[in-house]
Amino acid sequence: MKKINLLFHLTLLLGLLFTACEEDDTQLIPDEDSEKITSNITENTTWTSGKVYVLGGRITVLDGVTLTIEPGTIIKGEAGTQANSTALLIARGGKLVAEGTAEKPIIFTSVADEIQPEDITAGNFESPNLDADINGLWGGVILLGKAPISASNESGDVSETQIEGIPTSDQNGLYGGNEAEDNSGILKYISIRHGGTNIGAGNEINGLTLGGVGSGTVIENIEIVANQDDGIEFFGGTVNVKNLVSWNVGDDGVDTDQSWGGTLTNFIVVTPAGHCFELDGPEGSMEAGHIIQNGTIIASEGTRISQDLINVDDNSIVGLKNLFFTGISEGQQINRVTAAGVTFEGIELDVTEEDLAGHVNGDVPTGVSAVSSPTVGADTSVFGWTWASKAGKF
Amino acid sequence: MRYLFSIFFSFITLLSVAQNGKIRGTIVDDKTGETLVGVAVLVKGTTTGTASDLDGQFTLDVAEGSYDLQISYISFQTLTVGDVQVKAGEITLLDNLRMKESTLELGEVVVSAEVIRTTEAALNTIKKQSASILDGISSEKIRLTGDNTAVEAARRVTGVSIEGGKYVYVRGLGDRYSKTTLNGMDIPGLDPDRNSLQMDIFPTNLMNNMMVSKNFTADMPADFTGGLMNVETKDFPEDKIVSVSLSTSFNPDMHLNSDFLTYTGSPTDFLGFDNGTRGLPSGADQRVIPTPISGHSQQEVVDFVRSFNPELAASRKTSLPNYSASFSLGNQISLNGDKKLGYIFSVSYKSEYTWYDNIVYGEYQRYIDPDLYEMRYATLQNGEMGEQNVLVGLLGGVAIKTTFSKLRLTAMRLQNGESRAGKFEIDNDGQAVGQSGYFATSDNLEYNQRSLSNVLLNGVHVFKNSGWEIDWRLSPTFSTSDDPDIRKTAFTHSSNGSSFNAGAGGNPTRIWRSLGELNAIAKLDVTKKYTLNDREAKLKFGVSHTYKYRDYEILLFDIQFFGGQSWPDPDPSTVLNPENIYPNRPNSIYYQSGNIYPNPNAYRSNVNNTGIYISNEFELFPKLKTIVGLRAENYVQKHTGRDQRYASGDTKNGQNLDNEKVLGSFDLFPSVNLVFSLTDDQNLRASYARTIARPSFKELSFAQIIDPVSNRIFNGSFFTYPGWDGNLTETRIDNFDVRWELFMKSGQILSMSAFYKKFDNPIELVRIPEQQTSTEYQPRNVGNGRLYGVELEFRKDLDFISPAWSHFNLNGNFTFVESLIDMTEIEFKSRKSYEKTGETIKDTRQMAGQAPYVINGGVSYNHYESGFDAGLFYNVKGPTLSIVGAGLFPDIFIKPFHSLNFSLNKKIGESKNTTIDFKVSNILNARTESYYQSYHAENKPYSQMSPGRKFSLGVSYRF
Repeated sequence: MKKINLLFHLTLLLGLLFTACEEDDTQLIPDEDSEKITSNITENTTWTSGKVYVLGGRITVLDGVTLTIEPGTIIKGEAGTQANSTALLIARGGKLVAEGTAEKPIIFTSVADEIQPEDITAGNFESPNLDADINGLWGGVILLGKAPISASNESGDVSETQIEGIPTSDQNGLYGGNEAEDNSGILKYISIRHGGTNIGAGNEINGLTLGGVGSGTVIENIEIVANQDDGIEFFGGTVNVKNLVSWNVGDDGVDTDQSWGGTLTNFIVVTPAGHCFELDGPEGSMEAGHIIQNGTIIASEGTRISQDLINVDDNSIVGLKNLFFTGISEGQQINRVTAAGVTFEGIELDVTEEDLAGHVNGDVPTGVSAVSSPTVGADTSVFGWTWASKAGKF
Repeated sequence: MRYLFSIFFSFITLLSVAQNGKIRGTIVDDKTGETLVGVAVLVKGTTTGTASDLDGQFTLDVAEGSYDLQISYISFQTLTVGDVQVKAGEITLLDNLRMKESTLELGEVVVSAEVIRTTEAALNTIKKQSASILDGISSEKIRLTGDNTAVEAARRVTGVSIEGGKYVYVRGLGDRYSKTTLNGMDIPGLDPDRNSLQMDIFPTNLMNNMMVSKNFTADMPADFTGGLMNVETKDFPEDKIVSVSLSTSFNPDMHLNSDFLTYTGSPTDFLGFDNGTRGLPSGADQRVIPTPISGHSQQEVVDFVRSFNPELAASRKTSLPNYSASFSLGNQISLNGDKKLGYIFSVSYKSEYTWYDNIVYGEYQRYIDPDLYEMRYATLQNGEMGEQNVLVGLLGGVAIKTTFSKLRLTAMRLQNGESRAGKFEIDNDGQAVGQSGYFATSDNLEYNQRSLSNVLLNGVHVFKNSGWEIDWRLSPTFSTSDDPDIRKTAFTHSSNGSSFNAGAGGNPTRIWRSLGELNAIAKLDVTKKYTLNDREAKLKFGVSHTYKYRDYEILLFDIQFFGGQSWPDPDPSTVLNPENIYPNRPNSIYYQSGNIYPNPNAYRSNVNNTGIYISNEFELFPKLKTIVGLRAENYVQKHTGRDQRYASGDTKNGQNLDNEKVLGSFDLFPSVNLVFSLTDDQNLRASYARTIARPSFKELSFAQIIDPVSNRIFNGSFFTYPGWDGNLTETRIDNFDVRWELFMKSGQILSMSAFYKKFDNPIELVRIPEQQTSTEYQPRNVGNGRLYGVELEFRKDLDFISPAWSHFNLNGNFTFVESLIDMTEIEFKSRKSYEKTGETIKDTRQMAGQAPYVINGGVSYNHYESGFDAGLFYNVKGPTLSIVGAGLFPDIFIKPFHSLNFSLNKKIGESKNTTIDFKVSNILNARTESYYQSYHAENKPYSQMSPGRKFSLGVSYRF
């Protein structure tokens, strides 16, 4: 047995030597109109319309560098999990200028998605081969900025911390600062799909992660489909987001942490597997609140049932306004109405009067009511370009 | 194996036909305790005679009868041993013949054979005379006590603490500053990341002695600071050994427990290795593995998923009691002329069941609010875990010697397999910083198999009476440590059912880890004895070279779901049922690779360490022995590895090391030891030495190693953070010792020491503060450190109370240490920012790994004439900082473990060939605990488990 073991290890050693030199490229490459990106973006770069860009790893747009993505461009992440996950990371000081249009949106998806630029030109924005609940095929888009965050890391009360989803060994994952008006670029008409692969328990990549992103950044008309983790997650910052769809995500529809100080206006959350809203409070002494308004939430459909309608912590600071919850199942609740910093205004639940109390953990606060037809909610007319809309989800 | 046995048995048979009897003895210098070479031994009134060999040993073949031996040597008084009884076919042992230097009035010393047996052991003289502070236990003593393994024998050495029933530490300094060697060679243990060798594998009947040095002399490797323990195996057993021992132990909390957790494993698990059942499925190490999106066919994906073992659940089975068996054999044979052949062989087998029914792992945080003192939890895990451990040991050796030369070859093979199965509940609090909040239950299956194969070739040559001696050693060791197919399956439970959630309990994962290490040492020591000012002096010099090579790799796979998930009955045992495998919806399971090529979680490292030394031991003035030495070591560690960024294709910003030097220095290690003999039995010692502690292979790497049970992640030091530049360097230590010691008859001792150690760039395990979601650590150089300590040590017979107490012996060692680390600016600031109301943060703190006190005490009763020995031993270490926190994350301490153990050995039968032993360990039923500590807050668990009380019964028979 000694011999066998020794031999085994010798062969293992040899094997290692050889595999190091071996190149095995059976990975699916869509076609000749694609470009594989394997290293960080260190100078201003434009990804042009009509092409497919393949993310070969975690690609970072470095401080001081702008990545421009033209309308109709498709970005596909290679498969992988944990250390092997792909993502587009915009480091602090870097900029992403990705201005799609309703006619030519920019699509982030997996290499497994057979969607091609021609499909976009033809107005077919949905995936030709992947169902709208297939997730975890790649990572996601992470935007980091220098706006204030309420974090308490070892330096106590300040500055910067590491974004979840990126190993701390990568310094480009740091975010936060004191520039409330920081500008991380422009994101318009972007659909992010099938991502959210995990890098370890409790450590995952959201569809769109916004860490310390400042109010100088423009983010509107964004769709997240089938992300394995949260649809959109805010870590502090001051950025405002308008016209958002979060559909079939594996965890929370909208997640906020570290005293995000912006406003989310006009959005639709459809059947996340976690909470529809997971809204946390400050983690440091900086205290800012955010406003979430004019939204429609479909909390269940068939076997897809979300957890809490709203989940807040005791120290959360959130103004919730004009939200319409429909598709409410038994057991789904507004969890915690005692948090002093959380206000409810025009929150309408599509349930009967007598059932209303069962959907609130605690006394039903003023501002929360049962309705049979809504008087509040999202203006869905702006979402015609989304896959969710084309799939008839609202 | 059977073949081997038959060879050895035929040896024994051959020997037993001899009709003569034998007298075998060892001759030592009464003053120094050292053996004497070339001493003439004559059977009085006959022409039969011989001379002692280089080990001071001799053998005489004589017919049955009673003899007087005359032992003479130049400048020593002639020693006559009277009335030596010899029986046919038996060996009469005189292993303690002490010769006194001749004085002016030449005379003869006459003693009886009976007196020889009770003379003070040479070891005690060696201790008294030794240049370094030395303690130990000799084979003679072990023969009297009846201890079975080295670890039991080590308990009798004062100042030694036993950890985990197998590791031996000195003075409360942790593994980083301790070292164990086998036959003087620095060989890796079964756990290659430890400096210490486990001691429960050496049968005492094949052990010559075990010595502990508490300070450095130039002939030792420079990388120890607390203590060096050396185990020397026998080369020429004094008499024939054929012995068998069996033992069993029962832990009422753990054994015959029907809740015990296990899993199927492989049919060869009982031999300590996996037969391949847990091997990596073929194709899994490819860059692209079959997935629904890889371009492989559906059948290929299905086949690939099915090629993984579908067992993911821990299952319950009744645990058995522990049992072990060993067989050992040894003898020496006289060949033609003055040649002797010695051999030893042993095989041992051990099977242990460990069951923890309430393991706790906690992650706690501090509040930033200075008035909130209590800590809050981020994650709390509770669970049960069953472990089955098998250890197979083979040890063999042959040696041949003439009067002036000796050549020996020893070989050792250890095979160890540990299978673990656990079930845990994981409660994560979303209100804690960086946490998302979830509840999950996990099933964990693990297997760790380790092996060690070591060969030692050793030659000793003495140049007649010239005083020159050459000792050379070559020792290659090959070791492996593999964790094939670590499985973790954690369902996340929520109000609307259970599923696998990447952002909560995580997707099911499987990990393969493998480690191979080669360690080759060559060493040459030359000794010259001479006289200086008419007093004995000794010059020693030598060279050594160590080459180490390690190859390490981790491969990881995640279970993914192509589409949604639905688990109406969340049961890990059904997760990989065919109906859940791709393309069967809704679960549609496939595997995704977590591996990048080249793998950032793989490395190859090597070390070349060349040492050269010279030391001189002399008495410039009477009664003042001085040993000065200088050692030089040229150490170069090279590393091949890369970080994730490089591996992901970012060759510009990523880091890649291709056999690059990551640690390298040429160091001088001076040492001065002064021994002043106040009286014949009192010494005053003072010493200074410089030593070193170097980071390990794992510490100097980009590896990120997760413990799937606790979810904690070890990070290599190469990753940089604010306040950490990624350059881990060695620690240089200045050691100062003073000691007064009093030696009394039959090994009794009283000593008091004071010591001071200064640490330049000590390495400690630090919690990475930037990582708030997962619990991650990294070894770093923290600020400089120093420690002051006092030590009181005694071993005393209680005959002074009354003769009735003369068989009682009390021993104790008390060490008290004040250790201080000067915090780095960043550590001080981060502690300061979390300063609580009323708390004053100082810029110094306790050193990690150093206990503030260590108490060892034991009382034993020995009645050697009737073969009875019993002892009660107690050991505790003060609260020891284990992982350095700061800011949000509190410090982690190891709680004192009050270890109280009882052992009893009784030899029975007419010739006392049978020994029965009975032991109770952990009488106080102490728990193994470490905890988070914060100002004015209740301590919170970091980890907790109960080893329980254990009763063992063993019998050994010597043929």
